[in-house]
Amino acid sequence: MAISFEEYCRDVFDPKKVFSKPEPLKGLRVLSCTQYILGPSSANYLAELGAEVIKIELPRRGEPMRHTTPFNEPLLYPLSKWMPDKGTGLGFFGANHNEYFLSVDFHKPEGVEIVKMLAAKADAVCENYRAGTFDRWGIGFRQLSQINPRIIYQWMGGFGGWGPGRKRASYDILGQAQGGCFSVTGWPGPGKIQGYEGKFPIGLPSKHTIWIMDYWGGMMGAFQVIAAMYWRDNVSGVGDFFEYSQVQGAQRHLSDAIALYGRYGLVAQRWGNWDPLLCVHGIIRCGKSSYPGSQFPAEMEEGFCLVSAYTDADYAKLMKAVGRDDLAKKFPTHDDRVKAENQPAMYEALEVWAKDKTKEQVEEFMHKNGINAQRVMNAKEVSTSEHFLQRGNVHFIDDPTFGDVFSQGPVFMASETPPRHKWAFKPVGADNEYILSKLCGFSKAKIKELESQDVI
Amino acid sequence: MAEKPNIPVLPWPAVATPTPDEVYQGESDQKKEYALWLESALRQSENFKKPEALDRIRVLDCTSNMIIGHWCSSLFAEKGAEVIMVEPVGGDPLRKLTPFGRKEYMFKDTHGGAVGARFLCEARSKQSVTLNLETAEGRELLKKLAVQADVIIENAPPGDWDAKGIGYRQLSQINPRLVYCWVGQLGQWGPMKDKPGNLDPTAQAACGFVHGTGAPKSFGGTPTRSGWWMADQVGGTSAAIGIMTALYYRESVSGRGQFIEATAANGIIRILDYNWGWYGMDGSIRPRYGNWDLAINIYAVNPCKDGQIMVGGGHDRLWFRIWKTVGKDRPELEQHIIEDPKLKNVTDRPAHYMQVETYTTFSEWFKDNTRYEAETKLQAEEVASGGVSFFDEVCETPHYKYRGHMEIIDDQNYGPVLIGSSAFLGYRTPGRVKWIGRPTGFDNDDVYRRLLGLTKADMDGLKGKGVI
Repeated sequence: MAISFEEYCRDVFDPKKVFSKPEPLKGLRVLSCTQYILGPSSANYLAELGAEVIKIELPRRGEPMRHTTPFNEPLLYPLSKWMPDKGTGLGFFGANHNEYFLSVDFHKPEGVEIVKMLAAKADAVCENYRAGTFDRWGIGFRQLSQINPRIIYQWMGGFGGWGPGRKRASYDILGQAQGGCFSVTGWPGPGKIQGYEGKFPIGLPSKHTIWIMDYWGGMMGAFQVIAAMYWRDNVSGVGDFFEYSQVQGAQRHLSDAIALYGRYGLVAQRWGNWDPLLCVHGIIRCGKSSYPGSQFPAEMEEGFCLVSAYTDADYAKLMKAVGRDDLAKKFPTHDDRVKAENQPAMYEALEVWAKDKTKEQVEEFMHKNGINAQRVMNAKEVSTSEHFLQRGNVHFIDDPTFGDVFSQGPVFMASETPPRHKWAFKPVGADNEYILSKLCGFSKAKIKELESQDVI
Repeated sequence: MAEKPNIPVLPWPAVATPTPDEVYQGESDQKKEYALWLESALRQSENFKKPEALDRIRVLDCTSNMIIGHWCSSLFAEKGAEVIMVEPVGGDPLRKLTPFGRKEYMFKDTHGGAVGARFLCEARSKQSVTLNLETAEGRELLKKLAVQADVIIENAPPGDWDAKGIGYRQLSQINPRLVYCWVGQLGQWGPMKDKPGNLDPTAQAACGFVHGTGAPKSFGGTPTRSGWWMADQVGGTSAAIGIMTALYYRESVSGRGQFIEATAANGIIRILDYNWGWYGMDGSIRPRYGNWDLAINIYAVNPCKDGQIMVGGGHDRLWFRIWKTVGKDRPELEQHIIEDPKLKNVTDRPAHYMQVETYTTFSEWFKDNTRYEAETKLQAEEVASGGVSFFDEVCETPHYKYRGHMEIIDDQNYGPVLIGSSAFLGYRTPGRVKWIGRPTGFDNDDVYRRLLGLTKADMDGLKGKGVI
């Protein structure tokens, strides 16, 4: 081969070349009648892949996520042409790239008519209002599939629209809580665990920092919509209807905990930063901060580093390197190491060894000794990492509305038809004229009239 | 400690699942009409009367020792694709992993083998063959399989398959329609590219997730990993989107496959909401904020009498309902919050000291309420809330049982196994699970005969040489 494999990969996955390649979902139109993250992100992944996604929000203030931002501080202006002194919060940021923004009031009959006109020309609808609301308004799957039998309609929500809990409202962390995610994340506790006093920090069930059941649920939804398009275009010619429950998604994630409960009555518990299946394969505390002079709390604290040496050979190497041959001899097989009663001794030894080191020093030492290790990186370290910048996993978007914005890159890489980010998002109703004239044939006067009646 | 405790295990469900009559009792016909339509359209009991979206697709899942590829191929299997797991001779090392090495909690098959729960749950509806890619004969067999496959997923160390002559560059020559996907932790190229043996939580640690999860140091917390190999499952889902898109584009436009790369780190970075946007604006490093939310007050898990409970309601409509609920028991707490001028305006509330005040006051009420009591009172005001559930509770919640979020697969090889069922509820092409998994190499005979025309003598020969 003329070039090395790594050079080949750099070439075919080069994020600078994505705009010279075709888009895989070009020509497909998706209506995103969504708010918060679960529904919006599912449509967003399709927009990354070239679908024309029209996000429909309520006029003026837009959807609630626009008003969600850390400590209510960072905002991107303007919120809309009607509210130039208000901004959109960063909560909206990761779930609305590349979309067209239309504002429509579904509560008004003229608004419902607009949705029907758009649905007649759409391939898919993503919707996450309360189950049955769109049906009541005459724009649910039962009605839209009459207008357009090819339509793929996905409702997404917390608990689903049928069954005893059908009226329960949900948010991401409720999905995490009720799906069992909290119960297995974090250190055991509170209170003493018999036989383990002092062996690990005491903790509580912990949330995942991401709104994960929303963002990941959106991925599941996007996969399902593309699969349905594949089936429609190659097999059946007709659309489909899906109901995605984020609590069910969480439970699907943790199927092994369900299997252990079903067969043996075991209830999975927390094991902190170690791993119930592998040892040594855990995150250890390194005694020193990497930024001793910093004023940032996130930088002042000590570092952490994953150390992974679960095979017999790697483990022996690790213990020799840190001067604990005695532990290598004491736990020679993985069966010895992975036992719950034995795991703390190894991590304790590693943390004692790492007491006077930063996470970088620990990582470098491990790599030098042929041991897998990964320091725990913060947002700044990831944002400035050569690795992730070269790969386009984080990048600047030259956004037409907001200027340079730093953003996550698309969801995967592809050699022929890569996903891409064109703009971060736009103000509420920014594309009203474009969409309504292109797809509904509305004149300038008509659009003005609808605006004055608060329909758009 | 190592003694196996004697836990009496009631068959699931320990408490009977409610009947439709019980569920919809007292609801007017008009009100329950939509729910009943949904139920008729989506009930899993009808799944096998319906077609499968992807039953023309053949996937070779050649990944091992990681869940990312198996998770990805599970999504294809649930949607109807023929998925063949190509495992090293002796089986995927994941098969042997069981919590804390407790072999008594593995799942025995009827052929004398056993497998851990983690692997078994992602072997759903897949076949298993063994193939030794370290041998030239093994690689030749893989090439023959690749010619007949639509998708290959692999997770060998970067460049390993290319060096062996079975990478994308070579396989796309013999099958231009092939969608070839590499999955891993950090990538097959770039300064931090994967090393052999890199596993989740490597990506969790490298992408800012671990740093941001857990309580702040001042609250006694540390960076915290997800309790399961979450990054792999996110990365595997993004791989599935990539492969599905490539298949769609192949059929509708190009006729050709392509090379996909999906990593656990890429998947998590994509969904780490505003970490990057915030850093880009003013250099902020997103801090850990425990079970609270930086952007919404109230949106948190709070300690209560018998555990923890989630309550969400940042905007005014829910905010006042939450305090009304609290006020029914403790009017002085409601008064304290409602009369505080600093908490009047929704946009003022997310500030840290306001969150401290909110949750301190809220906890005063929670300490006298169990999860169930608090949930019942809050839901009476239609506030989104729910207890932090452990897996016995998850599996026995009437709503989830009724909707089939978990189901028993009575498997030929493993007997009855309770699993998290497919999350793809659908009207025309729902996802489904057909069998729970296969012992190592169970399908060698079928696959090698059906796809490659090997005879029994051929296979015996290959077995003797350690090729299959």
